[in-house]
Amino acid sequence: MVFLIKILREKRMKKIKFAKIIMVLVMMISILFTLSAPTYAASNKNIGNNSVLRKIKRSKKLVVGTSADYPPLEFTTSVNGNTKYVGVDMELAKDIAKDLHVKLVVKNMSFDSLLVALETGKVDMVISAMTPSPDRKKSVTFSKIYYKPSGEFFLINKKDKGKYRKVQDFKGKTVGAQTGSMQYQLIQSQMKGSKVKGLSKINNLVLALQSGKVSGLVMEELTAKAYAQNNKSLLAIKSNLKVAQEGNAVALAKGQSDLLKAVNKTIKRVQKKDLVHKKYLPEAAKNMQTSKKSNMFTKYAPYFVKGIGYTIVITIFSVLIGVILGMLLSLMRLSQNKLLHWIAICYIEFVRGTPQMVQIMFVYFGVGVLISNLSAVMAGIIAIGLNSGAYVAEDIRSGIDSVAKGQTEAARSLGLSQSKTYRYVVIPQALKNIWPALGNEFITLLKDSSLVSVIGVTELMYQTELVQTSTYQGVLPLFIAMVIYFIMTFTLSRFLNYFERRMKHND
Amino acid sequence: MTEIIKVEHLKKNYGKHEVLKDISATVNKGQVICIIGPSGAGKSTFLRCLNVLERPTAGKIIFNGTDLAKLKDGKQLDNLRQKMGMVFQDFNLFPNMNVLKNIMLAPMKVKGSSESEANQEALQLLKQVGLEEQAQQYPNSLSGGQQQRVAIARALAMKPEMMLFDEPTSALDPEMVGEVLKTMQDLAESGMTMVVVTHEMAFAKEVADEVWFMADGYLQEKGKPKEVFDHPKSQRAKDFLAKIL
Repeated sequence: MVFLIKILREKRMKKIKFAKIIMVLVMMISILFTLSAPTYAASNKNIGNNSVLRKIKRSKKLVVGTSADYPPLEFTTSVNGNTKYVGVDMELAKDIAKDLHVKLVVKNMSFDSLLVALETGKVDMVISAMTPSPDRKKSVTFSKIYYKPSGEFFLINKKDKGKYRKVQDFKGKTVGAQTGSMQYQLIQSQMKGSKVKGLSKINNLVLALQSGKVSGLVMEELTAKAYAQNNKSLLAIKSNLKVAQEGNAVALAKGQSDLLKAVNKTIKRVQKKDLVHKKYLPEAAKNMQTSKKSNMFTKYAPYFVKGIGYTIVITIFSVLIGVILGMLLSLMRLSQNKLLHWIAICYIEFVRGTPQMVQIMFVYFGVGVLISNLSAVMAGIIAIGLNSGAYVAEDIRSGIDSVAKGQTEAARSLGLSQSKTYRYVVIPQALKNIWPALGNEFITLLKDSSLVSVIGVTELMYQTELVQTSTYQGVLPLFIAMVIYFIMTFTLSRFLNYFERRMKHND
Repeated sequence: MTEIIKVEHLKKNYGKHEVLKDISATVNKGQVICIIGPSGAGKSTFLRCLNVLERPTAGKIIFNGTDLAKLKDGKQLDNLRQKMGMVFQDFNLFPNMNVLKNIMLAPMKVKGSSESEANQEALQLLKQVGLEEQAQQYPNSLSGGQQQRVAIARALAMKPEMMLFDEPTSALDPEMVGEVLKTMQDLAESGMTMVVVTHEMAFAKEVADEVWFMADGYLQEKGKPKEVFDHPKSQRAKDFLAKIL
């Protein structure tokens, strides 16, 4: 009987504990929401009526977002080791900036991040071969059409010549297109017999095609022809997809009638003189030739060097944030203070329970609205550091737990205070025990820094993608990036091993 | 005889479980007390309450005119704690430091002794326990008996007014018990006040000034070793001694 009561009591205690966890979690989430609610409100308010044009005039800068992997409309080329954004859309951007009498700044990011960046005020306009579809019109405004592509093409492997000619030939096969693009929707609506595969970067789609993951790609004529010209194993053929082709337009945030007027004025001038065909396309072709001629990787070494630099900077600062935050969180978690204890637990559980990619985007697009001049690099460092802190905290806590209780008792019985006991007895032993785990964490962090390429930070992975587009080569840049990452992590692990041996030496 | 520590109506519960029920006792300066009794009697808990490694549930522990049980964790408690050296069953040497550093840590970090001063004293203490050769060794390379003697030297380095021993020979191989007991006996003869929880009845008989018999959370009996061992009064003590002697 007594035993039963005991069990019941224990169960109740557990229930209370569980209820507490739930309570604190609910609190945390509601705090997050109250934090993000004004964020959201601010994001709409930030882009008040005609505020973008005022901002452009004030800062003397026009920030244009694009996904520079779509030759000849937008792509990159290397000029004296510097990345330059070129193509038809970039020529138009230049003219718009010229008419506004401001400097042009190009922000390169993945295609499906562009509209988010526009809505959160990260960019002033998007020029990225974008079609004004009804869905997009719900959230943004479009200018007049500045360019009408001639039609949709299939890009296939040359060895499949004759095998794929029209939509029906792809029955039961997988066809690729850029995620969020019009071509993607075309495949879904007109190629019902085929499976659709979406990737956010064209160069990865081409890789998928070359490695046989997809049988063909749908892209517009100029892009398809550009790839076929630059890659001997590919072939561009005209598709029989029916397109109510509206053409490409410039995307703006809602309520910017002044800016819209200015953009439309530039477009009118461009169309009148037929600049697209007379100037923009020849210019783009020239740039494509230069990139074709210079397929030597020595020319692209500066790309990788820049990427390595950023990757190292991101790693160092994120590790610093992670270690400091981790120590703080682990002490909070071990603290007698119930509130601190639960805050630490909730933070750790929440951060470990959500994908790092989402956290990076949340920090850049979400928190970035509160701090409007938060750069992508800073956002990346903060997001990775905050994430790492949770893991480091758990490592440190397990290390402290691993030191026998007798060690603390012996130190305390000698008159050492709690903090001195930690400093001289517990932490040195804990550190030795967790060193391999911490080392793992740092190496993982270095590799995970590649995730911040999604918000356009020019670290190694991002630079690798640039090299892929510039050289029309898929695998080799990836291989080089892999080797570079390995050299970095291997060096780091040697370095960590050196300290591990030194600590082992002592007993 | 001046009293050094006085315990009044000491109680200790773990949840509903009462480990110490009501203990009052006094230790005088220079006395060697051996606490004996069956396992689960609360001997170790009692000893750990004396320097507040375990916080008593109720009662007083008067040491140097201060009630330790009332003190919050902090400087004052740390200051009084260092005057009571403690030796543990599992030695609890710091594995990340060599023997010398183990002994020097507290004098340097707590008392603020200089390194040379602490070093000199540590070597002196090692000589006293017969381990000056092992000064540069790390604890894991020593035998259990050697480790325990280092632990005694480490506690002595703070120049304590009294020493607490919590079953100091229970974790040792039989052939090493002797060297530790010898060190303790030397210490007792030098006039150190000692409270020793032990199962070594021969040691208690020979070295102790007083033997306390504990069982069921009470201090059942205390007296000169001869009285307690040869003429136990309580039935509990009679049963216990009959089993082990």
